[in-house]
Amino acid sequence: MANGKGASLYEQVTRVTHVYLGPAAGRFISRQVESHLHKPPEQLSHKDLRELIDWIRVAVSLLTDDSEIIEEYTTELKKLAKDEPTGNNSKKH
Amino acid sequence: MANNKQATRSTTRTMQQAALLIVLYIVLIFAIPVGNRILARHHFSLWEYRTVLFAISLPALVTWLVAFAGYAKLREYAASVKKTPEGKHFDKLATGSAWLAWSLAVTAIMNLAFGGLVSHSPGFYKPAVIISNYVNLAFSLLAFGIIGNASRGLINRAKLGLSLGSVRSIIVIFLVAGVSYCYLTFRNFDLSSLGSAHNPYFLPVWLMVVSVMIPYLYAWFAGLLAAYEIHIYSKHINGVLYRQALRLLAVGLIIIIVSAVALQYTYSLHPRIEHLVLGYRLVLSSTFRIIGAVGFILLGVGAFRLKKIEEV
Repeated sequence: MANGKGASLYEQVTRVTHVYLGPAAGRFISRQVESHLHKPPEQLSHKDLRELIDWIRVAVSLLTDDSEIIEEYTTELKKLAKDEPTGNNSKKH
Repeated sequence: MANNKQATRSTTRTMQQAALLIVLYIVLIFAIPVGNRILARHHFSLWEYRTVLFAISLPALVTWLVAFAGYAKLREYAASVKKTPEGKHFDKLATGSAWLAWSLAVTAIMNLAFGGLVSHSPGFYKPAVIISNYVNLAFSLLAFGIIGNASRGLINRAKLGLSLGSVRSIIVIFLVAGVSYCYLTFRNFDLSSLGSAHNPYFLPVWLMVVSVMIPYLYAWFAGLLAAYEIHIYSKHINGVLYRQALRLLAVGLIIIIVSAVALQYTYSLHPRIEHLVLGYRLVLSSTFRIIGAVGFILLGVGAFRLKKIEEV
């Protein structure tokens, strides 16, 4: 599996989500970004990540009662926030 | 959102159809003529006969309702993912499940109506058995054929294959079921003449083999293979939460397929046009119907959970 270097933030978030939502991952993240952050998924930036993770936590809580899975998933997403580049651009060059 | 409204309308229509079929069946129970010979055989008055028939039909009627609700839920999920690569395969799964649900109701209503006709004109008994046998077979071929295409599509899409061990297991299970079906069917035949139609199927042996037994075995094989492929798909697909929901759907579908095969197996061994069938056949068919209903419930719950993933 690719380590995510060179991939857009949206792709990295989708990749993490794939472990939990499989083929529905891309659609799930697009929906969260579009409906809660009101922007196209490709424009997802690191400064949006914290808010997105909060929304994802709420959404996933509706799908499962397993708090371990929810915690593990959001922890993986938070790791992406730590990789924040110095600039505002979400893509790593 | 327009999709959601359309799906809800489609589910409402499906449930209305189920209700209509149930009402039709109940009306037939209380309206069809019953011959004195049949009443004498069961030692019932006409009213007692109809009440007993209604009572033993209740599990079947509940099964129809559950089956229609189950495939409607799957149809809703398929509609929510129709633009995705796997969408068309789920749509086919919903169509195949719909044919299985309809087959439960249509064949039961047809047998009840035929029973009434036979009471009125006993000469219709033979054609009724033959027609009923072929209608059952047609539903089986159609439903399992469509479900088989869907499961193959999902397996191919996920780039999964069957291992040699699993192929061998399927072949052994199928051989045992197929050979015992042939053995039990041939016991009812006058094998001294291939053209003789003195058997419960009212067909010559050669015609029975070519037009009933081989197609049935093909349909059951397609159904059991599909059940296995769906199991493989649900086991290997990525996504912990997606897989949990899909497993429910897959287990439901497997139970539905196996119970449908078992029901058809039981019926095709001794096809009879009778209103009231008591004894071990009633126990067997009621058991398989209830097992099938459990399958449709799991199918519906799995489809509901998958749809929720597409909505939150």
